[in-house]
Amino acid sequence: MSELPPKSSVKRWLVTTNHKDIGILYTVTALFFLVFGGILALLIRAQLWGDLGDGRLMSGLAYNEAVTAHGLVMVFWFLSPFAFAFANYLVPLQIGADDLAFPRLNALSFWLYAFSGVLLGISFFQGGTLDAGWTIYAPLNLPAYTPSIGSTTAILALFMFVVGVTASTMNFLVTIHHSRAEGMGLMDMPLFTWSILLTVWMMLFAFATLLAVGLILASDRIFGSLFFDATTEGGSLLWGHLFWFFGHPEVYIVFFPALGVMFEVFQSFSGRRIVGRKWVIAALILIAVQSFLVWMHHMFLTTINLEIKTLMMALTIGISLPFDLIVFALIYTLIKGRIRYTTPFLYSFGALFFIVVGGITGVFLGAIVLDYEFRGTYWVVAHFHYIMFGGATALFGGLYYWFPKMTGRMYNELWGKLQFAVFFVGFNLVYFSMFAAWETPRRVFEYVEAMTPIHRVGTVGAFILAFSFLMMFYIFAHALRHGEKVGDNPWDYTRTTEWAVPSPPPLENWEGRPSFEGGSLNFVSKATDGGHASAHDHEGHADHASIWPFAISVSMLVLLLGLSGLTVWNGREITGVSTGYAAVTAIGTVAFLGSMLQFGREGFSAPQPAVAERWPFEGMDKNKLGTWFFIASDIMVFGAFITAAIFIRFEAGWTTWQPVTDSIYGLVNTFILLTSSFAVVLALVYARRGSKKGTMAAIGATMFLGLSFMAVKAVEWHEKFFIDGVSWATNVQYTTYFMTTGLHALHVLLGLMIAAWLIFRTKEGAYMDDDRPIELFGIYWHFVDIVWVFLFPLFYLF
Amino acid sequence: MHRTTETVNAVFQPMAHAGQEGWQAQAEVFWEVFSVFAAVGILVGVVVVAYMMYNVYKYRDSEDASGEVESVEVGELPRDAMSKKSKKLFVSLALSAVIVIVLVVYAYTALLYVEAGPEVEEDAEMHVHVEGYQFGWDFEYENGHVEAGTMRIPENTVVRVTVTSRDVWHNFGISELRVKADSIPGQTAETWISAEEGEYLIECFELCGDAHSQMVATLDVMEEDEFEEWYEGTNPEDETEEAEG
Amino acid sequence: MASVKKYAAIYVVLLVLAAGKFVFFELDQVFGYWDAFTGVMALAVAKTALIMWYYQHLNEEPRSITYLVLGSYFLVLLLAAAATFSITSGVY
Repeated sequence: MSELPPKSSVKRWLVTTNHKDIGILYTVTALFFLVFGGILALLIRAQLWGDLGDGRLMSGLAYNEAVTAHGLVMVFWFLSPFAFAFANYLVPLQIGADDLAFPRLNALSFWLYAFSGVLLGISFFQGGTLDAGWTIYAPLNLPAYTPSIGSTTAILALFMFVVGVTASTMNFLVTIHHSRAEGMGLMDMPLFTWSILLTVWMMLFAFATLLAVGLILASDRIFGSLFFDATTEGGSLLWGHLFWFFGHPEVYIVFFPALGVMFEVFQSFSGRRIVGRKWVIAALILIAVQSFLVWMHHMFLTTINLEIKTLMMALTIGISLPFDLIVFALIYTLIKGRIRYTTPFLYSFGALFFIVVGGITGVFLGAIVLDYEFRGTYWVVAHFHYIMFGGATALFGGLYYWFPKMTGRMYNELWGKLQFAVFFVGFNLVYFSMFAAWETPRRVFEYVEAMTPIHRVGTVGAFILAFSFLMMFYIFAHALRHGEKVGDNPWDYTRTTEWAVPSPPPLENWEGRPSFEGGSLNFVSKATDGGHASAHDHEGHADHASIWPFAISVSMLVLLLGLSGLTVWNGREITGVSTGYAAVTAIGTVAFLGSMLQFGREGFSAPQPAVAERWPFEGMDKNKLGTWFFIASDIMVFGAFITAAIFIRFEAGWTTWQPVTDSIYGLVNTFILLTSSFAVVLALVYARRGSKKGTMAAIGATMFLGLSFMAVKAVEWHEKFFIDGVSWATNVQYTTYFMTTGLHALHVLLGLMIAAWLIFRTKEGAYMDDDRPIELFGIYWHFVDIVWVFLFPLFYLF
Repeated sequence: MHRTTETVNAVFQPMAHAGQEGWQAQAEVFWEVFSVFAAVGILVGVVVVAYMMYNVYKYRDSEDASGEVESVEVGELPRDAMSKKSKKLFVSLALSAVIVIVLVVYAYTALLYVEAGPEVEEDAEMHVHVEGYQFGWDFEYENGHVEAGTMRIPENTVVRVTVTSRDVWHNFGISELRVKADSIPGQTAETWISAEEGEYLIECFELCGDAHSQMVATLDVMEEDEFEEWYEGTNPEDETEEAEG
Repeated sequence: MASVKKYAAIYVVLLVLAAGKFVFFELDQVFGYWDAFTGVMALAVAKTALIMWYYQHLNEEPRSITYLVLGSYFLVLLLAAAATFSITSGVY
């Protein structure tokens, strides 16, 4: 709740929660990771050059680490965050909002991202980072094959990153569905915001799955559970399914924002409206939905059956058609325009070229019979670089496009064009050469002799590409100091509202309340705001600073670092616990819980706009909407665990398994949880009646029942561990039982902590006129109950 | 399934180069399909890119520009462009849909052929079981003989190959013959080979550990008689005796 | 917000449904394994619907929230069903 220091102060950047500051932090951090991933790419290309006089540059292991880290860094720590740098900066401006719906949560997302990257960096110094490829196939991802502590740390870094992303996803979903200025219907949103909206919708489901995958893998690596070790029960294929269920939507998640930039840039620099705007939006929606229906096309060569392959092939081809429409719409937009060849336009046009090449070569991969041969070769590498780096190309265009808005200064246009030319040449040399050398297996550096000249061309191209980035950084650095100052709108023919405010925009974005009633932006001044005046006055006290997002992220880094080496492995089994790492874990846990508590106690005001477009969630409070998005993603997390249990049991032979535990425990706990659900409902009833005692008693009853649930669970697990002598490491059936019900127990525990907090606050007199927190807790608690409704039969009856 | 295969064979047989038995090796199927895709792909690519370049040049902003800008103001809500271009959009989309769907249906018939393998009499086939491990390949023959590093098969014979792994996920691939199968622990994938006499490189196409780059083996396709002679000499029981002696 | 009476009635129904699940598997002379399986799943879905609709107050929220949650459940079902189907030997 502290004051926001000026931009020249370092402290400002640690405490800020303002979306534009966060956008700049994302930009700088993402570009840092571009350099990090880029240097790894240059190492890879140097290795591919061949013998450097006295052998290769790197050992096989080091090469695999470089390949893995390059993929992880570029996909997770560069591409998405770079896109979300623009999303942070521009979405609130484009929809006429003051900030994101949850500014402090937004800062938390950023710091989790930044420190997860630091954690990944640390992993290099813990006996080497992960070396299993960015697809992290099982069982190579287990300590038996990738024993370094750094490998575990890399997985945990990915997990931490995903936690931040999940928070960010909910934040953007609520913002776009809850804070659009008056008159801006969903269909009226700029196409960049549309692309971000669809991106976060995909992220909601896809990243929740990845979160579960991260949890499962971390549990295998740290606690010795056996999900991916169960190769006879399909553990390897399970990884394929879970990873690609996330992984395919991920391709569009990184690609959609790039399309969004291209739509804006094409319109601004051709002076024409996008052709078939509503069809373009329809195509984007179609792709977003279909992205969840094609994941097995990454698994054509595995042992999945022909029927499902055929279905996935048909759906894959289906998904290429809306993309065709988008490409044609972009091309036709140029016709009859007056196209100005500015750097942002050249980048976007270049991106379109890359996407055409990547798209056509992708059709080859969609044909299974060709995919059989392309699988694992440089054809795939070339194809997805044309698509994904092609997307990044548009994002660089976006950086040039919005640079004057974000900094208030213009870059040197001639240098920008030159830089693009070098970039374009370098790009094609690296990636087109890969098509020529396509028979080379991926991630291999000892290839057939005849391919040497082609790979060398690629290596030369990579260094040219790298040089173009040095040029870009110089151009921006120069512009920051000496660039010409710009006004609100340095480009002609722009239309989106970020160009209607000064460059850079003031902290609060708008003077007066933006409204789009009547078809274009106007401002309702405070004096004339009539009935809404009081609501708007209330908004004047929005907070912009908090140190706790930073503190939570640092302590989470410490906690995860401790976990990474907590258990000591001996090839296949856990042999002990490392005291040093245990101490780090303990410190991290205390610091984490402490800073979370402070985060909760801090009074941080981020009022929701009184007047806003909220379709299709009208009349909802932003916190409740956020809670429901959280529930939707938590369903996916449990869904992945349940899928794992079902898949493994099915491969093992469904009816050959009997429940491993007495069903009476499950039944008793079912009744306990149902009763606690009833108690939570009563708490809300009493809160609405204004009865402090009744509310406290009802939440108290909920807590008592929750604790009883845990007690029954303790008896049950005690029997398993100490009487039967089994644990999750006994066999994969016990793994699915312990880990799935264990995850549920963790949810109960979290619920109990929140309940304790609520009782404490109720005692202080809170919630008597605002019972919303009790309602939100209820929604969460009922969800935990619902999960048990399915876990009970799955592990106690079937 | 059976019927479909027959139809597919009917399509592919006339084109079979290996005439005498009336089936095509995977490399030939691949080459045919790839050529068609490459021809269409390059044609479409060139047309699209040329059209892009033509328009971006034609409608460039200059003194005598032929295009014009639509009047817009900052902050106006977007409207759909009113033009005939939307119609054009759907014509192009339909055209691309036809091209893509025709290509894929064509490729799918080839897939069914490859999935089923060519129809030959049972006794004409032989079977080799491949097991990948960090970092090499074991080849097990029907008589129980196991050999690492070199896979030997007779020329122009359909060899059924089953592939699995002892440890991590590998991928068994022979680029020249366009043969590939995932080598997954706990799973058995199937493919088939038929090749001319010669030596071919077997590589691993899935990252499997630090010596992934060196995980190679040789496929030795031998003359029929030569192979028979070699195969006769590989009695697994003899091998154990030798080892003991 | 419904009345306490209504909440209590739903609670009783939920208890009965929960007990029903157990009974399906206790009476194994009456129900075969897959009958019991199907029955239990039906009861689970019914319970979930009751809890969501009345306790989580989906009946009072915009319908879109219901669709959101159903979307999540559908994707889980899709993932589990398609992944499991993919390792069967197919329908042929």
